[in-house]
Amino acid sequence: MSKKNKIYWFEGVTEKGVKSLLTDENSKYRWLRSQRNRRVLVVLMAVGLIAVAMGSYWPTLKTGSLILNSGAEIAIYSVTAIFVIFAVFGGYLLLRISVRGIGDAPNELLDERQIKVRDTSFRYAYYAMGYVVLGLLLLMLIGPDLQMFQPKGNDGSYLVVATLFAFSSMPSMVLAWRERDI
Amino acid sequence: MSRNPEEPVYNRIEEARNSLGLTRQDLADKVGVHYQTIGYLEREEYSPSLVLALRIAKALNQEVSGLFSQTPFKKGK
Repeated sequence: MSKKNKIYWFEGVTEKGVKSLLTDENSKYRWLRSQRNRRVLVVLMAVGLIAVAMGSYWPTLKTGSLILNSGAEIAIYSVTAIFVIFAVFGGYLLLRISVRGIGDAPNELLDERQIKVRDTSFRYAYYAMGYVVLGLLLLMLIGPDLQMFQPKGNDGSYLVVATLFAFSSMPSMVLAWRERDI
Repeated sequence: MSRNPEEPVYNRIEEARNSLGLTRQDLADKVGVHYQTIGYLEREEYSPSLVLALRIAKALNQEVSGLFSQTPFKKGK
């Protein structure tokens, strides 16, 4: 039992971690695996990603302006931003657990059906990310004319964080949404 | 993950497994797949590769041709 825990750096998982998720050792996460709960998680994740992407615009919700006037406003804004980003990260981890880590697991830890399921989810995730990137490009092209998107300040960093999360979590989101049993 | 509706593959895995008194987990361990994959196979929602079909047939002491078919099996046969 002293077998070394292999780390798959490219996939960002460990052998023991994936094997633990593939079996039912973690019974405390069993509630996450119903299709309904997985789909709720996907919707929450999508909302979280949009919230992070629009991070630069949060001040306008309260002040109607992108300018924060006081130290207290800046502190509230910063704490809220950190909280939302951590919440999305937590959602990303839960999402991985809900699909037994299949979305990120290497071939050698999966059987042939799981490999097929994972690869199909990557294909759909690729299409989905294509639309996300197309949407961002269109926003950057026509946004300034509509005074919706004026790239300055933190706009770029929030978009980069949201896009990275989206790239990482999209295959698991697709898996969580599509699969009946996982 | 659904089977290819153009080329359905029918099987008698559940029947053969039950006759040997094996659980899905037992069979899964014997052939090296996840127990849910056995469920997908038994519900004919997934068609196995030739290698997996051969492994299942061996584990269940059956011929592949007696376990899998492109036409539905007659009940009780």
